Amino acid sequence: MGRVIGKRLFSIMALCAMVGLLLLPIVVAMPSLAIGEEATADGAKKEGDKVEKGRDVYYKTEGVVVGAPAPKTTDGPKDYPRYNFESRVLLWFANQQHLYYGSFVLAVPIFCMIIEFMGVVTKDKALAKRYDQLAYDFIKISLTAYSLTAVLGGILIFTFLTLYPAFFSYLSSVFRPVMHIYALMFVAESGTLYIYYYGWDKMKEGFLKWIHLSMSVILNIIGTLLMFLANSWIGFMMSPAGVDEQGRYLGNIWHVIHTALWNPLNLHRILGNMAFGGGVVAAYAAYKFLAAKTDEDRAHYDWMGYIAMALGVAFLIPLPFAGYWLMREVYAYRQQMGITLMGGLLAWLFIIQATMIGILFLSTNYYLWQAMGRMRGAEKYQRYIKYLVFLLACGYMVFITPHTMVMTPAELKAMGGQQHPVLGNYGVMSAKNGGINVIITTTVLSFVWYMRGNKVSTVSWAKFGNIFMGVFFACAYINIIGLAIYGYYIPANVRVGLSVPQVTTTLSCLFFMFALNSMMMKGAKQMGPIEWGKISARSQYALIMLATAFTWMMGLMGYIRSSVRLFWHVNEIMRDNSPWAYTHTVGFAANMISANVLFFWISILFVFWLGSLTAKKAPVEAKVAVPGSVPQPAGSH
Amino acid sequence: MKALMSLGALVGVLGLLLLGGMIFDVVPSNTVRLIEGYMPMQMLFEVGCYVLGFAGLSYMLNAMGMALPRFWQGIGFWVFLMMYLKFRVYPPIPFSVRAMYGTVGLVTVFMWVSANEEDWKKFKQPILNVLDAQTGMNRLLRYMYLVLLPILIGGFSFNAMMPKSEEPIELRTVHPAPPASTKVHGKTYTLQTSQSPYRVNPEGKYDQEYSNANIVEQGMGRLMKPNANPWDEKNQGYLKYVREGGEIFFQNCHFCHGDNLNGRGLHAFAFNPIPANFTDPGTIAQLQETFIFWRVAKGGIGLPNEGFPWASVMPPWEQHLTVDEIWKVILFEYWHTGYYPRTWD
Repeated sequence: MGRVIGKRLFSIMALCAMVGLLLLPIVVAMPSLAIGEEATADGAKKEGDKVEKGRDVYYKTEGVVVGAPAPKTTDGPKDYPRYNFESRVLLWFANQQHLYYGSFVLAVPIFCMIIEFMGVVTKDKALAKRYDQLAYDFIKISLTAYSLTAVLGGILIFTFLTLYPAFFSYLSSVFRPVMHIYALMFVAESGTLYIYYYGWDKMKEGFLKWIHLSMSVILNIIGTLLMFLANSWIGFMMSPAGVDEQGRYLGNIWHVIHTALWNPLNLHRILGNMAFGGGVVAAYAAYKFLAAKTDEDRAHYDWMGYIAMALGVAFLIPLPFAGYWLMREVYAYRQQMGITLMGGLLAWLFIIQATMIGILFLSTNYYLWQAMGRMRGAEKYQRYIKYLVFLLACGYMVFITPHTMVMTPAELKAMGGQQHPVLGNYGVMSAKNGGINVIITTTVLSFVWYMRGNKVSTVSWAKFGNIFMGVFFACAYINIIGLAIYGYYIPANVRVGLSVPQVTTTLSCLFFMFALNSMMMKGAKQMGPIEWGKISARSQYALIMLATAFTWMMGLMGYIRSSVRLFWHVNEIMRDNSPWAYTHTVGFAANMISANVLFFWISILFVFWLGSLTAKKAPVEAKVAVPGSVPQPAGSH
Repeated sequence: MKALMSLGALVGVLGLLLLGGMIFDVVPSNTVRLIEGYMPMQMLFEVGCYVLGFAGLSYMLNAMGMALPRFWQGIGFWVFLMMYLKFRVYPPIPFSVRAMYGTVGLVTVFMWVSANEEDWKKFKQPILNVLDAQTGMNRLLRYMYLVLLPILIGGFSFNAMMPKSEEPIELRTVHPAPPASTKVHGKTYTLQTSQSPYRVNPEGKYDQEYSNANIVEQGMGRLMKPNANPWDEKNQGYLKYVREGGEIFFQNCHFCHGDNLNGRGLHAFAFNPIPANFTDPGTIAQLQETFIFWRVAKGGIGLPNEGFPWASVMPPWEQHLTVDEIWKVILFEYWHTGYYPRTWD
């Protein structure tokens, strides 16, 4: 009894310690801010009328100048010391690797939280154990990756300091308190993660489990805040605020953080990280599935791959809409920036991006169709798959059609102009919105089929429900395509607004149809269990494809976001005067992204291998608890 | 169901015959016309009809015990898609886009034929048969592939590596990002906030809603309202400015941009690329009025670095027209095409 109380006390103390760690940076930062303000005020009093005021470039408010202007750099060893190599490429590499690992270690704890929660609330004890073990497996993988993230972060800072000292000095002078808070948050994140991980076995039941779950919530709050702070730096570089036109800090740190693009970047990155994390874990499971020697292992990793894929795709579906919001804000902030991205210099990269997004959804659909093969009863849907393929292909072709086509001068003459009269219409936003929404809605339909694959509804209104569902999807397609066509008839500003009903239609399909399907399948007759492990090898390659496409697309989008500043370190404030202030060719960028992707996958394989070493050393008791030894019932999706 | 599938089969056969006829010039290529304004949807609709037709055809053949092997269904559909893109759609689609569509087609055909184990086995079987070479025919085929495949790959490689005499492909940025502001006749215009002084309502105030209301849509084309005739001498305000803009256009611009504003003027084909087609939804319809103002005023030589390779011979019209004339000619271009300038509110 006394031991239980002691454990409880220890758990609560650990949780309090985490909250303390979370609040520590804020508490530490507060006096420094206050001192800064007092100092400014004192300075103002002493200087009297000599106080210089500046106008915020974005908020247009006046403030007392407290920072130095952005340095006007010159090409030379003082501002741009270098090796006999392109410094920008080195920085690109360091940055990208740090981002990959950072995204992974921020996403995985969110997965853990969700899966652990599912385990806690699931009534089926065997299934609850499986969820718990899965969450533990996830966090174990992320632990090694966490150390690597920190190492890569260090490499990144040293790269900045040694190759771009003038720029980094300016950035750190503007973000001085934020950078300190960031460092402290990192300490808090590490502390929390280790308590969370090492406390797993000690807090696996009852009240202690809830405490443990609460720890994961705090861990994720810290991680998300960390990312928001890092986002404020890139937000500032793209759309500066809180400084005057010379780049002098005006004393309001919130303005510097809360720039025009900060919030859309935050949302986009959270969703992107989650989708990426899901993809990586799914690829890990796929790799283990393909290498598995026993049916038990195959069943476990099949299930793990499915859960990771489902979580990743759940966040992938809203991702294009978050991206759309980000682009909309970019256009609102600077029209030039938007045109450079979507219609100008970088437009070709967006065609590549569209291609990658299409691959993601196609891979997902393909995986689900393959997964239906492990359920008895799902055959009834197989014959309709060709129509889904057709819808996906049409949506995909429209989505990737470039407005300005690559062609030889002879083809240009034969075509009679820069725009093709038929396909040119697919190259504008109206058609593309229609294309992607058709793809996503079809993916939702595939999910619905998967979820009811081995079941027959027994509710009295099943027939009506099926008809309603069919009509709902048909109307959704008509609405999405109709609005895409209507978009050609109306002014551009109204057309932008049309994306809202299109998105609403797609999301309605997602939420209403999932809900309706769940209601219809309550107490449904099972045609047979899901035979975990009896899935084709092709499906696992689809998961690996999914993860690779995520990684490639992240690299691409990071490059696009960074390149849109063109020859500015900080847009319109601090010019890049290094010899590398030009935009790379599409081919070079693609090669560089591929190299980054390759390095990441090789290094993460190393991380997985390290993870497998600890698994081999796991105590016998833990081994016994490893679930998945028996093919599980269908209730798990 | 059977009747429906029979109808589908009929559509499929007729469609295939029509496409075959067009390819071999037995049937005039304009037998089923692509209708101006509806072409993009028509194309998707046609392909959709073909898919349903093929489904019906497959069903009927199956019912008659003459089922086409899944392998040939897959290959056949992909070949059909490539033929359709090559011979049905006019003007010709550039190779780069056909290659993209072809790859998507190939991937989706693979997804279809391997969506379940049974279909995948059926699809693989002819390939495995040839590789196993249990019969004389399959053995012959295997030897043929052994010889033909390297020749084919070698031929592709040779063709790809062979130096070509044609002009290289250029990735051109048609709409480079504009500067934040531009100076024309001594006055600076901020592109994000400037407005046309002639897009005004009867009270003389800037009013885009008013000018938009003068346009009636019909299909994908636009017509003016009966009472909105700029050529009526009595008209004042916005419509009068449109008329004045039209006069300037026909005095200066139509030689290249054409009297229908479709980029096919008298001199158009002397240039490479030909002048911008304003009736295309991807040109002025996508841009702010001030963007056009900047482009007209500064011309081809005023293109920024991003506009590489600066393939435009348009003169900087600020050297020939006043600021008012530039605004009016832009007003006319939007009125004539029926498009509305882009706004960001």
